[in-house]
Amino acid sequence: MNILRMRAHRRSTVFIVALAAMASTALAQSRGKRAPGKAPAAGKAPAPSKSPAPAKGSGGDAGEIEMESDDAKKPGAGSGSNDVNPDEIDMGESDKQGDLSADLNATAQNGNAIKATPIKKTPLSWQDIVVVIRKPFLKVRRTELLPFVGTTMNDNMIRHYTLGGELAYYLTDVLAVGVEGLYYVHSFREPFDLVARQARRLPTINEYNWSAALDFHYVPVYGKFAVLDHRLVTWEAFFTAGIGAGQSQVIPRDTRYPGFTNLLIMPNVGASMRFFLSKWLTVSLGVRDYVFFDHFEPKNRTDVMYATGSEAKAHADGSLINNVMFQIGVSFWVPTTFEYTTFR
Amino acid sequence: MKNHTLWAVVSVLAVSSAAYAERRQNNLAADVAVRHRRLLVKNRFEFAPLFESTINADFRHIIGGGAKLEYHLSDKLSVGAIGVASTAINTKLVDKIRPTLEMSIDNTTREPSQDEFLDRLNTMPFHGAAYVSLTPWYGKLAAFSQAFVAFDFYFQAGLSFAQLTSNCPSSVCSDQFPGMKHPDPNGGELPADGNPNNDPPLNNGSRLGLYLGGGIHVFLNDFLALDMTVRDYAFTDNPSGADFNADLFVSNDDNRFLHHLFFGVGISVMLPTTVKRTP
Repeated sequence: MNILRMRAHRRSTVFIVALAAMASTALAQSRGKRAPGKAPAAGKAPAPSKSPAPAKGSGGDAGEIEMESDDAKKPGAGSGSNDVNPDEIDMGESDKQGDLSADLNATAQNGNAIKATPIKKTPLSWQDIVVVIRKPFLKVRRTELLPFVGTTMNDNMIRHYTLGGELAYYLTDVLAVGVEGLYYVHSFREPFDLVARQARRLPTINEYNWSAALDFHYVPVYGKFAVLDHRLVTWEAFFTAGIGAGQSQVIPRDTRYPGFTNLLIMPNVGASMRFFLSKWLTVSLGVRDYVFFDHFEPKNRTDVMYATGSEAKAHADGSLINNVMFQIGVSFWVPTTFEYTTFR
Repeated sequence: MKNHTLWAVVSVLAVSSAAYAERRQNNLAADVAVRHRRLLVKNRFEFAPLFESTINADFRHIIGGGAKLEYHLSDKLSVGAIGVASTAINTKLVDKIRPTLEMSIDNTTREPSQDEFLDRLNTMPFHGAAYVSLTPWYGKLAAFSQAFVAFDFYFQAGLSFAQLTSNCPSSVCSDQFPGMKHPDPNGGELPADGNPNNDPPLNNGSRLGLYLGGGIHVFLNDFLALDMTVRDYAFTDNPSGADFNADLFVSNDDNRFLHHLFFGVGISVMLPTTVKRTP
C-alpha cells in the first residue's frame, strides 16, 4: 500500500514539474515574441548576422542609426516569414513562379549594359526617416458620397441653413472632381428686427433657394493626432474651388409688392478638414465662400413705381456677395476598401 | 495526498499565470504612448503676441493686438490669461444705415438721427480672459509632402472681462429721466417722453462674463508655433445702445447676455526654448 502511495506521489511530482516547466516555457515564448530579432529555430534558416544594434543617439535627439542587414529581412530569417502581417504589407506577386530561362536570356542581353560602379554608402540619420507613416487611407479611384449640413457665417441679418450633398471622384490621392447640390432654408437674426425697430429701417435682403456646383478638390496636407494618448486619428486638409449656379429670391420689404428671383453664377472657394474613421467612413468639416453678384429689391417701390416683380427686377440694385458657410458632413466611400500598391 | 497534490498543481499554475499576467501588464503600463515624441508644451511657458478681430459683429468690428501668457502644467493641462487692446471699425451694416437717417435730431419722428444712431454704439477698447486650457489632441502633419510639422488642438474655458465705452454727448443723449415722470419746470409733473433715441445708452463700463475658446498650435520649430484660436467672450451687452425690449426707453434691462466671437492669430514662443522627448 505504501509502495503504491509512493508511486502515486512520484507521478504527482513529475506531473507538477512538467506543468511548471510548460508554464515557464510558455512565459518565455510569449516574452520572446515581444523582443525584436527573435532567434530562429535551429536548422530552419541561418541566423541574422547580428542582433539589431541600438541606434546611436536613441533616447537622445539625433544621430546616425544602424539598420539591420538585409539578410535579416529575408523570409525565413530573423523573425521568420510566419511573422509577416498580411494586413500591413502587400506582398504583391510573391506567389508568381519565375521563368528561369527568360531571366537568363534577359540577363545575357543586358549584361553588356551593366557597369560596375563603386557603391556609395550614405549614413542614415533620423532625418531620413519619414515622419508621417504611410497614409492609412487611400482615395485614388474612389468615389466619395458626402451628405452635409451648413450654416451662414457672415450675414448678421439672415441666416441660411443648408442641406446638401456632394459626389466626388478622386483622380489621384490628392485631386478630385465632384458635383454638389444645396437646398437652403433661412431664419432672421436679431439685427434684422433691431434695425427695423430701433433705426426704423426695413432691411433689403434676399434668401437663397438652391445652388449647385462643379468642384475641384486638392489635398496638400495630411497628418495624424493622438486623442488623450489612447487613439490615433488621421486627418487631412483640402482646398476646394468650383463654379456653379444658384437661385436667390427677394424678400419684399412691403408684402404688397411681389419679389422676384435671380439666377446666379456662383464660383466658390473653400478649405476643409477630413477625419478618417474607417476605410469607408470619414467626417468632413470646413468653410466655403460662395461668391456671386446678386440683385436686390430697388428702393422706393410704390403703386406706380416698380410695382410688379419684372419692373423691380429690371431696376434692381446689384451687389457682390460673399456667402461664407460652415459645412459639416459624413462621407461614405465607394469602393469601401482599397489596396496599397507600395510597401510601407 | 491527492488533495495535497491537487492544491500544489493549482498553486503552481496560479502563481505562474499571475506572474505572467503581471509582467505583461507592467510592460504595457510602463510604455509611453508615443516614443521619442517631443514634449512641446509640458512644463513650459507660452508667450504669444497676437492679433484678434471679431467675427461677424453687428455694428462695430473690434480689432486689436495683445498677448497671451500661459503655463503648461502638463502635456494636456495649462492655465493662462489673455489681454487685448482694440479699436473699433463700423460694420457695413452701419455704413448702409447711417446715410439713410435724418441729418438732425427731430423728436417728432421715431427714427434716430445719424448722431443718435452712431454715438450710442459702444466700443471695446480692452478685453481679455483668464482660463484653463485642455489639450487633448496632438499630432503631426505633412504639408505638400515636404514640410512635416507638429500640431495640437486645445480647448479653453474661464472668465472673461471687457471694458466697454460709449461717448454719447449730452447734446445727443439729453434725456435725464428716461422712462420716468419728471418734474415740470413750470410746475406739476411731466410724463416720460417715450423717445428712446435721446436716452443715455448705458452700454459702457466693465463687464465680467464667461470665456470659451478653441484653437490650434502649429509648431514651426521646437519653440515657435503659429497659434490660431476662435474665442467667445460672453457677457451682458447692448451694442447698439438702443431700446431692445421695446418699452420706449433705454435701461439696464436692454442689456442681454451676448456672445462676442473673435478670431485670433499669434506667434507662440515656448520657454525654455529647449524641448524634451519621451523615452
